Amino acid sequence: MKVLVANRGEIACRILHTLREMNIPSVAVCSEIDEGAPHTMLADETVTIGGDYAYLEFDAVIGAARSTGATAIHPGYGFLSQNAPFAEACAEAGLVFIGPSPHSTRLLGDKRSSRETAQEIGASVIPGEQAVNDADDARNAAQQIGYPILLKAAGGGGGKGMRLVREDSEIASSFEAAAREAKVAFADDRLLVEKYIDPARHVEVQILGDGKNAVALGERECSLQRRYQKIIEESPSPGIDDKIRTALQNDAVRLAEAAQYSGAGTVEFLVGPDGQHYFLEVNTRLQVEHPVTEWRTGIDLVRAQIEVAHGGPLPTPPAFRGHAIEARLNAEDPWNGFLPASGKVLMLEWPSRPWLRIDTGIREGQMVLPVYDPLLAKLIVWGPDRETARRRLLHALREMVLLGLHTNQSFLIELLESDIFQTGQTFTTSVESRTWNAPEMPDYVEAAAAHFMQTGVSSTNDGASSASRDQFSPWRTLGAFRMGQ
Amino acid sequence: MSWEVISINGETHRVAVARDRQGVWIGWPGRAALFSSESRVAAAMDQQDAVRAPMTGRVVKILAELGSQAEEGDVLVILEAMKMEYRLTAPHTGMVEEVLCAEGDLVDLGAVLVRLAE
Repeated sequence: MKVLVANRGEIACRILHTLREMNIPSVAVCSEIDEGAPHTMLADETVTIGGDYAYLEFDAVIGAARSTGATAIHPGYGFLSQNAPFAEACAEAGLVFIGPSPHSTRLLGDKRSSRETAQEIGASVIPGEQAVNDADDARNAAQQIGYPILLKAAGGGGGKGMRLVREDSEIASSFEAAAREAKVAFADDRLLVEKYIDPARHVEVQILGDGKNAVALGERECSLQRRYQKIIEESPSPGIDDKIRTALQNDAVRLAEAAQYSGAGTVEFLVGPDGQHYFLEVNTRLQVEHPVTEWRTGIDLVRAQIEVAHGGPLPTPPAFRGHAIEARLNAEDPWNGFLPASGKVLMLEWPSRPWLRIDTGIREGQMVLPVYDPLLAKLIVWGPDRETARRRLLHALREMVLLGLHTNQSFLIELLESDIFQTGQTFTTSVESRTWNAPEMPDYVEAAAAHFMQTGVSSTNDGASSASRDQFSPWRTLGAFRMGQ
Repeated sequence: MSWEVISINGETHRVAVARDRQGVWIGWPGRAALFSSESRVAAAMDQQDAVRAPMTGRVVKILAELGSQAEEGDVLVILEAMKMEYRLTAPHTGMVEEVLCAEGDLVDLGAVLVRLAE
């Protein structure tokens, strides 16, 4: 066995680590601008496959597998992970696609047909969903269902190609933008419309199937989102009881078995305030937030994917332990409209704790370019209970240091400290329906900034000594000052 | 870049410090910020005669037509960064004097993309 990882960033690194642990030879692929990126250093071999979007090109990826003698392809998430024609192309090239069969992907990965399958097994679905081919179509559908509606990509998840539309006048431009985003993200610009449910919790069930049977590995609540991008995920959900939990898991397993699902997948639901749950969609792949489940079950989901794809057995249903929370560290400026950030990572320090896991694809000295997903790293903690886990995550976020580009580090802290998180009153609209303010800057930071702007800091740390010698430094007015300890 | 220990009025703090061409980055528990002495980009962004890139990104679509009249709020350029789209609109009504980018270009923060006549 030799596995090619058709992805980049933190998820490629995470998969390559498991391959190393399993002693399986590995191949990384990268675009030209990703040459030298951390994931390329974790593989036994690396192939540069083209420009920015080469990760989406069948021929480039399969060609790299052929030239290196890889026998299997792990697609990660995003890019080609939910693309049935790609899974077919792999099969034709004699490669094992580590993921569900093209049949399952078509049935469940496509939002239109997964809804039909969900209805067939008796799961309740969101009212009014229908496929739309152009803006006029979308307007008619929206008028029928009643605003607000959600326009979303039929061919993928992750919030890409998704727009909330509240009135007729917004629909044409939203349609165009969503279709274009969907095209770039999934190579598929088909859209559909559905009723927008609010307030709702986003609760999803991790499944693992072997093509015949499936097991549920518990749920994750991912209600805290911004622009349909999840920010904080946790398990168990603080907002559902065991009755709903069992109902969700049963629906998820029946859906997986109906589709003869093989490998890891996630069945997403919305849970309304009355506890009514609606099937949302299936992500026929590993998800960004999968470590939350790994913490609670002790199962390495990537390892399970690789084993199942090669005919191995499903892991024994686990005993769930404690509480896990994940925070996504993004390259964005939360106090300036969440504008995407890019730049060189000048300084990077991660804390290390017994119950802390950090999945990342960046390192010091690396340029973060505005071309791909803004996810820089995931900090995932475990605790015997929710509050312990929350405090551990807060402590980790306060300890980590990343200089050189803006991140949402301080916003994650604000979220975890907010009453909505502390009380578990988390809904998909919670983040966007309130104003978040930057925490106050301590006096000593402003003083330090004033000082270092005047004196300069070089990368060799000469600044410290020259600053100490500077008799006219503003520091002198602030009292005793020592540096360079 | 380095860790620096500072004392103010008897209290000791540790800050992370690094410098790039934009200014000085300071990191303290839970947050980091960029302090820029002249904030050139910020000043430039306030100018009304031009539409500038609010972030580094790729130009996906140009709707501004050279020589045509743009109304305030018209979308002139669509920029994509981190797979999200940003619509850059005309700050005021005016004729499109110059289009300084092409579809597919990777543009820097603060770069002038379109110039409008006053």
